Amino acid sequence: MALYTHILTQILITVVSVAGVFVLTGMTGMFSLGQAAFMAIGAYTSGILVTKLSVPIFLAWPAGVILAVAVGFIVGLPTVRLRRDYISLVTLGFGEAITALLNRATALTGGASGLTGIPKETTLTIALLSAVVVIILITFFKASKYGRQCIAVRSDELAAKAMGINVPKVKMIAFLISVAVTAYGGCLYAFYTAYVDPTLFGWKKSAEWVIMVFFGGVNSLTGSILSTFVLSGLPEVLRFLQNYRAIIYAVLVLLVINFKPSGLLGEWELTPANLKRIIKRAGQAKQPKEVR
Amino acid sequence: MKKVLSLLLMLAMLLSVTSAFAAEETINLGCLQDISGPTSSLGNMVTAGAQWAVDEINAAGGVGGKKINLIVYDTKGDVTEAINAYTRAVSSDNVSAIIGPPVANIALAIAPESENNDVPILGFAIDTKCQVKPDGTPYKNMFAFQPNAIQQATIMARYAMKNGFKKFGVIYNEGNAYSLSLQAPFIETVTADGGEVAKTVTYTANDKDFKTLLQPIVDAEVDAIFVPNYTQELILIAQQARALGYEGSLICGLDACPPFNTLFGEPCDGIYFINNVDGTEANLQAMIAAVKEKTGVDATNKFFLGYDVANILKGIFETVGTNPVDVRAAVENVTGYAGLTGNITIDPATHMPKGLEMVMFKYEDVTPIMLERYSAD
Amino acid sequence: MQIVQYLINGIALGSVYALISTGFSVIFNVLKFSNFSHGALMTLSAFIGYFIAAANGWGLVPTILVAVVAGSLIALLGEFVAFRRILIRNTSPIYFFVSSITLGTLYEGLVVLKVGANFHNYPRFFGKPIKWAGIVISQSDLIILCISAVALIVLAFIIQKTRIGRALRSVSFDRDTASLMGINVTRTIQFAFIVSGALAGLAGVFLGINYTLYPSLGSLVVKGFIASVIGGLGSLPGAVIGAMLLGIVETGLISIVGSGYMPVFTFVIMLVFLLVRPRGIAGSNIQEKA
Repeated sequence: MALYTHILTQILITVVSVAGVFVLTGMTGMFSLGQAAFMAIGAYTSGILVTKLSVPIFLAWPAGVILAVAVGFIVGLPTVRLRRDYISLVTLGFGEAITALLNRATALTGGASGLTGIPKETTLTIALLSAVVVIILITFFKASKYGRQCIAVRSDELAAKAMGINVPKVKMIAFLISVAVTAYGGCLYAFYTAYVDPTLFGWKKSAEWVIMVFFGGVNSLTGSILSTFVLSGLPEVLRFLQNYRAIIYAVLVLLVINFKPSGLLGEWELTPANLKRIIKRAGQAKQPKEVR
Repeated sequence: MKKVLSLLLMLAMLLSVTSAFAAEETINLGCLQDISGPTSSLGNMVTAGAQWAVDEINAAGGVGGKKINLIVYDTKGDVTEAINAYTRAVSSDNVSAIIGPPVANIALAIAPESENNDVPILGFAIDTKCQVKPDGTPYKNMFAFQPNAIQQATIMARYAMKNGFKKFGVIYNEGNAYSLSLQAPFIETVTADGGEVAKTVTYTANDKDFKTLLQPIVDAEVDAIFVPNYTQELILIAQQARALGYEGSLICGLDACPPFNTLFGEPCDGIYFINNVDGTEANLQAMIAAVKEKTGVDATNKFFLGYDVANILKGIFETVGTNPVDVRAAVENVTGYAGLTGNITIDPATHMPKGLEMVMFKYEDVTPIMLERYSAD
Repeated sequence: MQIVQYLINGIALGSVYALISTGFSVIFNVLKFSNFSHGALMTLSAFIGYFIAAANGWGLVPTILVAVVAGSLIALLGEFVAFRRILIRNTSPIYFFVSSITLGTLYEGLVVLKVGANFHNYPRFFGKPIKWAGIVISQSDLIILCISAVALIVLAFIIQKTRIGRALRSVSFDRDTASLMGINVTRTIQFAFIVSGALAGLAGVFLGINYTLYPSLGSLVVKGFIASVIGGLGSLPGAVIGAMLLGIVETGLISIVGSGYMPVFTFVIMLVFLLVRPRGIAGSNIQEKA
């Protein structure tokens, strides 16, 4: 049982981070390969505050998030004006830079040996609660004015501009929200594993999150969450296949991108209305499955 | 699509659950190692040694009629994977003990988590921080079975000074706990004994081009360069130092042990290294030959570490049983076990061995030549 | 004298970066996306070169040839598997991004499957370094520099002077119009992938010689990315200039501030370039497709 609790907690923490990436990539169409670095900022800031300065956790976590957002603002300032490819490359460079700084600042971060002694505070309940709250907040954001502007920017930046949308501002808002959420995920993570080291936050992790968002459905938060469960649960379940895991994973994602490019769920969201429709359909027809 | 996926998922979960039920009357022994990843050559060697010992034990009837079942977990050189694998070992596979990794970063990551359980981890991390908490008391479940970084670095420094080297350069990876833990005691010992460290340079995990870093060391015309790094980086540094025209010596840690000489691809003259065992001794030679014949593996130092630890555990299972709590207490009090890697006595205050021996070697062409045996105190 | 030595080291480093960044740029030039599978392709073809040629004692030239051919074929296959349908459907270029990252994971997974994350080392192809007037040049650097230069000149010739090169340029300018002009767009794109794959194979072998062979060798592609940002995304001369510049600046910075802060400086340089001259040194300003 402990094992399943453990895996579930980890997946829920990933859900929080992926929800952040969803705002950035799914809704706004920007790719960040430095997203994990913001997770690192959240994790390290809160961890250092608690272990070295004995700041209480309810202050340390917000501090981690705020610092990440501040850094995100500085990085975002030039970045949101650039074309999309540059955003991914700049954030990539940013991630590498953060890793280097974490390695250098040995006195503060423990350098390569990692930051130890973080109290284990994150439980399954806290992770679950956090995931639910984040999901609700993002659902509200998606339905808000800014949320819809984000989607407009993703679909067609030029047209969005022509409609009078302040594109850099919208991009910046989406960027900062995703940074805040991811940094919070970092706090959860640090206080769950009780140990962080700089290698945890490389660009591959960021890329993995982007893939999760795409796999589930570009414009579906439900899809992103579902795919986080599937794609991070898969390696655990497929443990007996060891070396083939990475390959199976890649093939699955390639299949989805090739044959269902809008992701597993496309634009579909799990809303009360949609849920009712499913139940109705299931009740109505015990006939053969409809062909899509 | 969705239904198929969820079906597949459930099927797979079922499979993984049922597999846990197999084999009733065995003692589960975990082996948590880097089977893949950058330090996999070390992890695979420990595993091979442990497996060899377990096979021997089982062939001789096991422990009290029970066979030992060695369950290997791959950490992939990644701390998250390692924690997952560790949780799996203690919570669903109910292992009696775990043979831990020779990699400091992994051990550091598991250490806080291990406090919540009772399963002892018998590892080989030489960074003292893996076994001892910042407050000076040991993590209750973390043990190391080879001399620690300070002891090893001191031996290397003493030997280098005795060998007539006076002026040193140091190049180490600040992104690696192992490298980091060796350089400071080396520099301290050398300076205390009247030597001079002319130039120290650092690099990070992503660095692959060391020429620019090595240039000032080469320009300083040092007698020897201290290179406490993993094998792959060691090869790069040695190659690039030679490419810069450096003709002095290199003093390396355990990572220059064979198969370094076959991987290096050219004569290794002037490379000194430290080792846990002297592979030229008769009893080891016989075992190396037997292992080579049966499994095709060229047994090196980590093999014997794994072998010794598995045998220590066998003795403990025989005397106190397989309850992890009792096993842990017994590991803490291991005294005078005569293993292949020396006489092993665990110090209960540090959870590290006392007075274990190490051997200094150097290469002539590609052949390791034994130089001197040191006690690690 | 020391400065000359650093300059030489920098150019040697830059010449390998140049191979990476041009291979990356060829694809960017045509399809306007960053091919994140390029790094893993380098690794895969370098390993194929190792196992087929070098491990059997075949020497440098056959190893390079095997790796180059392998790289081209795999790139061709990769285009078909991961990018063709996205191209035909003409969906958003962001799919290329995800597809290429996944393809990279697949390549790396294949390498890990074969070698299990262990590292290998090419046999020594070169002799002792050349010493002359206090300057040391290793033979490997010299030969790598020469081969890279030849490869890049051949590439420039193909793109500027041949029929397929012209087709490549027109497809890069506007795919639809090129198609209307009777250019076989699919063929041309396939050609771009072959060229990029060949460069990946070449770069892979050289990286392997310099830095040993290991499954994540391809992560050095990041240097190629940065070089092409500095040089101007999609511009081939820009990619070469950017790579050389990056090699020299890196060597210089390492000798001044040490390697620890290197990524921070690289990031700042990249940011400055993007702010001051977003199209890079030689790049034309590519607009986001509306």
